[in-house]
Amino acid sequence: MKYAILTTLLFGLLFTGCRPTNKVNRINPSETTDLSGRWNDTDARMVSEEMISDALSKPWLNQHNRQQQQPPVVIVGNVRNETMEHIDTEVITKEMERAFVNSGSVNIVASSDERQDIRQERLEQQEFSSLETMKAMAQEMGADFILIGNISSIVDETPDRRTLAVFYTVNLELINVETNQKVWINNKKIKKLIERRNYRG
Amino acid sequence: MIILLTGCHAYVLDDAQQDLRSSFTSGNYQESSQLLQEFERNEVYRSKDAVLKNLESGLIHHFSGNYDSSSVFFDRAEYLIDDAYTKSISRGLSAMLVNDNTLVYDGEPYEDIYLNAFKSLNYVHQNNWEAALVETRRMAFKMEQLDIRLKGLAEAFAKQDTMGRMEWQSGKVNIQNSAFSHYLATILYAKTGKPDDSRIEFEKLKIALGEQAKIGNTDRPISDELEAIKDPDSYNLLITAFSGQAPIKKQEDFRLWLDGDDGDSFYVKFSLPKIELYRSRIHSIRVLTDSLPPQNIMLLEEMDVVSSEVYKAKMPIIYTRSLLRATAKAAGSTYLASSVRKKDKGLGFLFNVLGIIGQETSEKADLRGWQTMPGKAWMSVMHLPHGTNEIEIQYLSPSGSILYSEKRTIEITGETRLDLIESIYSY
Repeated sequence: MKYAILTTLLFGLLFTGCRPTNKVNRINPSETTDLSGRWNDTDARMVSEEMISDALSKPWLNQHNRQQQQPPVVIVGNVRNETMEHIDTEVITKEMERAFVNSGSVNIVASSDERQDIRQERLEQQEFSSLETMKAMAQEMGADFILIGNISSIVDETPDRRTLAVFYTVNLELINVETNQKVWINNKKIKKLIERRNYRG
Repeated sequence: MIILLTGCHAYVLDDAQQDLRSSFTSGNYQESSQLLQEFERNEVYRSKDAVLKNLESGLIHHFSGNYDSSSVFFDRAEYLIDDAYTKSISRGLSAMLVNDNTLVYDGEPYEDIYLNAFKSLNYVHQNNWEAALVETRRMAFKMEQLDIRLKGLAEAFAKQDTMGRMEWQSGKVNIQNSAFSHYLATILYAKTGKPDDSRIEFEKLKIALGEQAKIGNTDRPISDELEAIKDPDSYNLLITAFSGQAPIKKQEDFRLWLDGDDGDSFYVKFSLPKIELYRSRIHSIRVLTDSLPPQNIMLLEEMDVVSSEVYKAKMPIIYTRSLLRATAKAAGSTYLASSVRKKDKGLGFLFNVLGIIGQETSEKADLRGWQTMPGKAWMSVMHLPHGTNEIEIQYLSPSGSILYSEKRTIEITGETRLDLIESIYSY
């Protein structure tokens, strides 16, 4: 009996020791996961959602449609990262592109980086594609507006670094390419208070 | 035995650090990388020394041209330093009584700052100026926070020392700006069409040079050439050169025989780490090109002098800890020997001797540090004509003789906005 108990305990310990330490769960992408306190997908989503709904509801869109009788053509430019973290600002701009395209109210054209590849492809088509399928040169749609912006942050921390406050400001602007007129501006502020746990050392 | 073994590992690590420094100094980065891997295999760098391993790996990869890998190692070092600092703040007083070598190395504040310098250069090499600017901002922030951070450390220890045995305070930090970070930021802002930010960074650069002139006793005039960095069209090449080595931590031992109240002699040993500057043979660095007159590169940041200055501000905390630890150990062993002596005189004597041996073996200054960090950073910009340019970087002695020279070829085209050439001579 004594040996049976000891053997069970030993096996129990062995199996506990052998259990993989990594556990992975699939979760809803819209679920908030704040792990390090740094800028994350939740922040990017909050900014995009607010910016998109505001941009599509402001007068610049109706004014353009009324004057030009066609949806505006927008190019998404660079959102500069002016924080102390490495932030992929494309997450925000791609979300905005997606929302603009899906709304049907705004036409989006390829960004400057994307254009290089497309132009190269078109150039090669002139030489290698059949006449029926070859795409014509100089038929690009010129943008009416460019979307640019920046993300900046202010960081404040206690001397022991256990409490950290980060204040992010995301500014986005839509500028008329022909007149330089700013037709839409919005900013979103996010303030985070990060309290680090007590460590045992 | 445990004490002896712990002390033994610290000496092994000291030797390994010296070997790595010598290997890196010789410029054989492949050998340095292999050496580092060997140390890891032989557990010379243990988990408590992970910050060191990542700092060394980051710099070796940087000068080997593996910029992605370098940034990964520096990222890891930065994260570990941050984590270890928070842990060191929340440790109990008991941890103060343990030999510093057994604790997790949380990086010197200057190491935490200069890792961002090399990360920013990694990103410039990769033409990711936005990311490079993130790193210069981190550097500037850490420099500004230095004084607060050291005071925070002193306050944390004071709180843990509930009996108020010691007076916990940090020294004065006489430097709050990094010329390196502001110089690079001035250039990158200028090149990315942000003249206002560039101008602000330039003003901070002037302050940083003034601060460095004070601590390094060297005059740093603001030349026309320096002013030119605000004009993005006046240059297409940034030359960065590094010379010298990181300051060296050395152990200084103090042994005292004191008379106790009951006539017993009281033995105390203190081992304190002190920092010594490496005396570089390089006095100036000159650049020769096919098309331009010879140009001296500007000594921008005396990383070694800044490091020493920052370390000096932390020294009172290190010394107070060592004093507290040594006194506690000495008091403990004397009390034990005295108690035993009352029952058995011979055994008491033996305990006394063992106490002395215990102090001798367990008291060892923490000499861990980033060995491959260079001592001085030099920077200049120049405008090269389109085409293939041959460049020679000459490291000169005080008498003007060439101690080392390196030739590079660089292709400048109409598309070149800013190219970076980096060179190092560690003597």
